[in-house]
Amino acid sequence: MKKELKFKVNGQPYEIFVKPKTLLVEVLRDLVGLTGTKRGCSSSSCGACTVMLDGMAVKSCSVLALQANGTEVVTVEGLAKGNELSPLQRAFLDHGSYQCGFCTPGMLMSSTALLTENPRPTKLEIKEGIDGNICRCTGYNAIVRAVTAVVKGEYKEAK
Amino acid sequence: MSDYSVIGKRVHNIDGTEKVTGSGKYTFDVVLPNMLYGKILRSPHPHAKILKIDTRRAKRLVGVKAVVTGKDTLGRKQGIWRRFPELCDEEILCRAKVRYIGDAVAAVAAIDEDTAEEALDLIDVEYEPLPAVFDPMDAIKEDAPQIHEGVELNININRHIEWGDVDEAFEKCDHIREDKFKCSSQAHVCMETHDAVASFGHNGKLEVWTSSQSSYYIQRLYADMLDMNESDIRVTNRHTGGGFGSKFELDSAQFCAAILSQKLCQPVKIVLTREEEFTATKRRTPMYYFLKLGAKKDGTMLAKEVRVITEGGAYTAMGATALYLTGFFSSFPYKYPNYRYDGYRVYTNTATTSAMRGFGAPQSTFVGESQIDMMAEDLGIDPVEIRRKNGMTPNYEVPGQAFIQSCGLHQCLDKIEEHIEKRGKLPPNHGIGVSAYGFMSGGIFNWFNTPYAFSAAVVRINIDGKVDVYTGTCDMGQGSNTTLAMICAEELGVRLEDVRMFSGDTGICPPDLGAWGSRQTLMGGNAVKMAAAECKQQLIEFTAAKMGVNIVYDLDIKDRWVHLVDRPERGVSYFDIVKEAIRGKDGVAIMGRGHYTPHRKGMISPAYSFGVQAAEVEVDPETGRYKLVNVTTAHESGTVINPVGIEGQLEGAIMMAGGYGFCEDQPMDEGKILNPSIADYKLIRSLDMPETDILEIDTYEPEGPFGAKEAGEGLTNPTAGAIGNAVYKAVGVRIYDLPITPEKVFKALKEKEKQQKKAKK
Amino acid sequence: MINDFEHFTPKTLKEALALLAKYGDDCKVICGGQSLLILMRQGLVSPKYIVDIKGISELSYIKDDKDGVKIGATTTHRAVEKSAVIKKKYPVLAEMETRLASVQTRNWGTIGGNVCHGDPAGDPVPVLIALNATLTVAGARGTRSIPVENFSLDYFEVDLKDGELLAEITIPPPPPRTGAVYTKFNIIESDLATVSVAASVTLGAGDGVCQDVRIALGAVAPTAIRAKKAEKVLKGKKITDALLKEAGEVAATETEPISDIYASEEYRLELVKALVPRMTKEALARAKKA
Repeated sequence: MKKELKFKVNGQPYEIFVKPKTLLVEVLRDLVGLTGTKRGCSSSSCGACTVMLDGMAVKSCSVLALQANGTEVVTVEGLAKGNELSPLQRAFLDHGSYQCGFCTPGMLMSSTALLTENPRPTKLEIKEGIDGNICRCTGYNAIVRAVTAVVKGEYKEAK
Repeated sequence: MSDYSVIGKRVHNIDGTEKVTGSGKYTFDVVLPNMLYGKILRSPHPHAKILKIDTRRAKRLVGVKAVVTGKDTLGRKQGIWRRFPELCDEEILCRAKVRYIGDAVAAVAAIDEDTAEEALDLIDVEYEPLPAVFDPMDAIKEDAPQIHEGVELNININRHIEWGDVDEAFEKCDHIREDKFKCSSQAHVCMETHDAVASFGHNGKLEVWTSSQSSYYIQRLYADMLDMNESDIRVTNRHTGGGFGSKFELDSAQFCAAILSQKLCQPVKIVLTREEEFTATKRRTPMYYFLKLGAKKDGTMLAKEVRVITEGGAYTAMGATALYLTGFFSSFPYKYPNYRYDGYRVYTNTATTSAMRGFGAPQSTFVGESQIDMMAEDLGIDPVEIRRKNGMTPNYEVPGQAFIQSCGLHQCLDKIEEHIEKRGKLPPNHGIGVSAYGFMSGGIFNWFNTPYAFSAAVVRINIDGKVDVYTGTCDMGQGSNTTLAMICAEELGVRLEDVRMFSGDTGICPPDLGAWGSRQTLMGGNAVKMAAAECKQQLIEFTAAKMGVNIVYDLDIKDRWVHLVDRPERGVSYFDIVKEAIRGKDGVAIMGRGHYTPHRKGMISPAYSFGVQAAEVEVDPETGRYKLVNVTTAHESGTVINPVGIEGQLEGAIMMAGGYGFCEDQPMDEGKILNPSIADYKLIRSLDMPETDILEIDTYEPEGPFGAKEAGEGLTNPTAGAIGNAVYKAVGVRIYDLPITPEKVFKALKEKEKQQKKAKK
Repeated sequence: MINDFEHFTPKTLKEALALLAKYGDDCKVICGGQSLLILMRQGLVSPKYIVDIKGISELSYIKDDKDGVKIGATTTHRAVEKSAVIKKKYPVLAEMETRLASVQTRNWGTIGGNVCHGDPAGDPVPVLIALNATLTVAGARGTRSIPVENFSLDYFEVDLKDGELLAEITIPPPPPRTGAVYTKFNIIESDLATVSVAASVTLGAGDGVCQDVRIALGAVAPTAIRAKKAEKVLKGKKITDALLKEAGEVAATETEPISDIYASEEYRLELVKALVPRMTKEALARAKKA
């Protein structure tokens, strides 16, 4: 039997009826229509589906949609403010921190959550922050460089 | 070099903003009106006859729209080696027999994925299991089960390469080594699994959106399998979530989606699960390697003999090419005056092995670079020195095979030597291993039998001066669209933001063989450059006439300024000239065509890139566990078009090739892959990733666009060998089979201890 | 494909227990779901009813009182990792958490869920065994207490009867001059353990004699185990390298490892022999500093 899910995605309230077995990623992609969030595995191992839930990075393939009831979810589509990209998005562009781009939304969400929680992480902490995300293209170091540049204040938040 | 206004600059990928905002559409994201979802039923047996398939129960399930089996196909067999019909051996939807665990036997289209999956359980397949064989060494025995009818000893294909007089040369050697190695398999693990949305219209035309490295190959193979005209098939590759060699053959998602759609005239989407991706797509070729290497006392290598037996898996695929390339690259990057290679690709009842980044060369480089270090030690010569003594140099001819024009191997060796010296004395249990490599810039071979030029491009300048490039090349994430746009912008004298790319869409782009074998920068780049040059010529002619300049002056365009080369201040705006030129051409946009097919460049490739890598490891001798501390690479790839792209290729290759050396493997039991998930298939993650340093060497490749050549795929070659050599330097044990796991290192250490004790007694 | 189920979201422990009593065998408890959802996707578990205890706030806490530190079962890994009390009193527990899977998993997954999953390669249980923790299990007829080392029964099987829930983990105050450490051997840093070792050493006053030692091993038997015989080798003695080596050898005899695609049985035994002395020595060093 479907149950009601009330939550906010990127600031927008939604009321959606879902089957209990529905995963958060399925609601975001198929019902809300935000396909920026990807899926790369079915074993909670790749991190491509990472979103922020009440400010924390979670794997949206490993959270029941109904568990997001009453929460605020931020997806990659929620990072830019209007036409201004977030500091991390700009840093990713400058540092070539993506190639095929399939892991990029998840990487950005993990990095954003990291900096929300800890604005001055060490290099090791940055690596830990993205360790749940697999990137088969870049070898990670370009991503670490981009996050480091943001930490150093090289990219200012859009007003 | 610094004359360039676009090339060599640090730029954003032209599709970068789509990728960092999540707005880029992948096939995975495509939803069409009236679309159905497909799932594929696969064989649980490694080798079996299909006696009967009953789909009635599945068809009755509410929500199921169609169920198809091999009987719904034309029963044709596909293969990339189209010149040789006997090597086209894969039906995709099997009719009479399955040959590996994962072979497709039926497919379902339903209103959603859950229904389709449920329906799979309702398809009754009656099999008669047949004896199966999994190891190529067993499969070549007289009494082994025959996997393909009429194929003696299961030998799918053999390749022979030879020059000089190997036997005579060995007699002149002071020292000969014979060694055996085994190279493991590896999965591509593209983040986007294989997927396709196929849509047959009532007009009989097929449109397909798919994650692919070669839209043209997919289109052509569809045409073969469905008996259609190429032009009635449009294959579009949108953003592709990684390829690495896995996405340029017609796959089960593409084929089954099309067969289902053909039946229903509705779009059908199939996305392979991660488990299917691991078990039912192709993978890197495991190889048994037997090497004989002979040298003079001073380290001059006189002869090399190589024998290889590869685990082919169930079908030919691109494995035949891997067999050829591993043989050729076993001679790299050295000047062997005498060389002989014999390779056999053997069918087995395992998932098919085929192309993967490096294409046979990571295997040959691991074994070759391990052995050359052993040879150096035997002779008491420094590892860098022995490579220097034998390494290839510019304008070298590989006898009867290939001609190497640019080659920066020796500069790379110098740089790596400096790096090692700078590291000085290493802490205990650390070791630095060296590995040298080379790779091609696109293949010259045409086993696919295309009648088209290998690469082609059309460039169109619109009234606002903006430039559209149409090319059949495919950007699978490696950034070829950016590289090609940079080449176009440089040639035409405009800025990167003036160029828009249309690629990988067979409906609007001229055919190109696609993104494999490191061909796009050189071949695609030459085609785009030629097309851009043709446009530029038209603008220059028009400008010369308009300005009335003395014909002794040359004109050029740079940064949107059409001007006299000798007097750059005399010129006109590019945008103004475009507007007028189009008016002057009766309103026809400025267009240029370009193409490239290598001619008179030997049998392998028009150009080769080179490099040397040094890997540093730290070994825990009590457990065998080791860490990758640093990987430093000196490499040359001709003119660097896109420096950010090259950094990414290099670091990414270390993640993948380091994984090949360190942890990635596909263990099997009776043909069943035991780790078909990302949880169980171990990949290097950010915490495991070593520091990566890049030492760029300047070279210029006359055959490449603006002097550029391959960069990225070849970087997959050296790492496993460098790791093996580093472990040896650190703790004195040599591992002969990949991956070099801590357990193998531990066992080798124990064995060494035992031998030492014995020696003392 | 996950089969659909009915989903309940009790707000209190009492409500949860009532639901468990009502649906019995057909019912599964979910909290973070980081393990359960994977099993459900693989079709290994297919419950008709799911009691979702993620929202029971009375079960999410870290309390410091005279009996020790009490951790509510639905406390996330991340909360344990970040807790100032835990970092101060049981740094080994926080250190273990930093290497447990990924940040995402730790943000949503819970320490109670991990313990109840009964994976012999799980990270928290060996550490909790070394710290001598006890578990409080709640059921319709009240609560019972069980030492964590007795909780796991077999592969993915724990001592929870129908209608019971893990409510709390209690870790006694560490005795003075105690040091504890944890390590896991694996190939990929954040991966599950191939072999894991937790050790806690308590030194007697002044004389440097090992007054108490607890050694727990993961991934070398159907459950995480305590290497009691190895402990005996060390207990009451002044620890030397020779004794440590012996403890490692003895610990290996207490295990029953399997061979799998990650390591052979033989190699796991060798790892136990190498890691038990190494980690116990580290615990000793910490005890000396404590």
